Amino acid sequence: MCLGIPGRIVSMRRDEGGLYNGVVDFGGVRRDVCLAYVAGEVSVGDYVIVHVGFAISKVDEAEALRTFEVLREMSQLDELEWMAQLADGADAVRAREVAP
Amino acid sequence: MKYLSEYRDPALAQALVRRIRRTATRTWCLMEVCGGQTHTIVKQGLNEVLDGAVEMIHGPGCPVCVTPLEQIDRALALAADPRVIFTSFGDMLRVPGSECDLFAIRARGGQVRIVYSPLDALELARQNPDKEVVFFAVGFETTAPANAMAVWRARELGVRNFSVLVSHVTVPPAITAIMEDPDNRVQGFLAAGHVCTVMGWEEYIPLAERYRVPIVVTGFEPLDILEGIWMAVRQLEEGRHEVENQYVRSVKREGNRAAQALVERVFRVVDRTWRGVGTIPASGLGLRDEFAAFDAEKKFDLLHITATEPAECRAGDVLKGRLKPFECPAFGARCTPSTPLGAPMVSSEGACAAYYNFGRFHEAATQEATP
Ligand code: SF4
Repeated sequence: MCLGIPGRIVSMRRDEGGLYNGVVDFGGVRRDVCLAYVAGEVSVGDYVIVHVGFAISKVDEAEALRTFEVLREMSQLDELEWMAQLADGADAVRAREVAP
Repeated sequence: MKYLSEYRDPALAQALVRRIRRTATRTWCLMEVCGGQTHTIVKQGLNEVLDGAVEMIHGPGCPVCVTPLEQIDRALALAADPRVIFTSFGDMLRVPGSECDLFAIRARGGQVRIVYSPLDALELARQNPDKEVVFFAVGFETTAPANAMAVWRARELGVRNFSVLVSHVTVPPAITAIMEDPDNRVQGFLAAGHVCTVMGWEEYIPLAERYRVPIVVTGFEPLDILEGIWMAVRQLEEGRHEVENQYVRSVKREGNRAAQALVERVFRVVDRTWRGVGTIPASGLGLRDEFAAFDAEKKFDLLHITATEPAECRAGDVLKGRLKPFECPAFGARCTPSTPLGAPMVSSEGACAAYYNFGRFHEAATQEATP
């Protein structure tokens, strides 16, 4: 129930009561979404997190990329360490073979 | 899907798991507060791959699960009233009340409709001026802005045949209740990313201080959760207890001010009973007096309906992390998702249903059995 799903704003309009609404695309599925709580920060093309028909935040694309970069770097670093360990391991094996 | 599938990358997930395992020098007990995170953790088997480094205790953060029995009974009474069209999010329909659930009322001819947004319920009221439309306003801080808007709009548009049955709960008082429990084992929290999207994270700072417990605001995808766990474990290993934000792409320190402002206008803080847990002071939201005309409890005189929870369901122990769902004697036998005894077996975000649906109890049971 607390699901919040990211989607891209396709169009924006104001309804009879002056409330900001819009159509948001969720990977092909489109829905009407109330944009009142993010009005002023978003425009068409932006990604928003939507919960029960309401956009509750604009996805910060720069931060999203940054998080991802950190994770990627970490994983690459891990791989290097892993390879280094393998190499160490190989040395150890060789050392054992050499030892009497 | 953008901003979703990237956060499910298995290679990166494995790297994070290795990190966590390498960082942890002992098993740390962490609690994810939110049911959405419980769902991901159990579905992906994260608690198993982290075994020995981290034990995840599944917190009370499923609004479906903690809505008290008497509130369900009141919903059932309203739904059975021929003057009423009762509207709700879909996952409330199977929650067992004292005698039956909303599905059963619907089968007997009650008008029960599932809506996607509370504004849809308001629209239904405008289309059916001869009926009373009631919306079941449950949820945490994430959902409160939507429900506040529906009530606000109803007043603005002068819709008199619309009201809400409110059962809103808030997270920080639950964290306090958990930390004050003498049997508490939780050493760190993953705070719910979407609750904090609305509320920000400043209100968690005094909690982290007072209980010397790390609190990491965390998103919902596997990589988010693993990164959140890693951040919490690092804090614990370094002896820190701070509020950190993993879910930066959605959560700002101050949260969504516009949403907070309307919630504040429409709701006030009240004591709430949490199903299985009991009453927690100042742990929920109720309508302000100026919106009494939209308060279904007052409009339909429901306050005389009270209920006591059945003893067989151990939901309280599960929600406090004292009992794993599969340790409940009823689990999988008398209690299954199609015949739930308690609310945590109903919602896919409930801890019991999550274990049942993903068949984790077999593995978990064998793991528990081996010393
Ligand atoms: S398995 Fe069923 S009876 Fe047992 S705690 Fe969970 S919901 Fe309650």
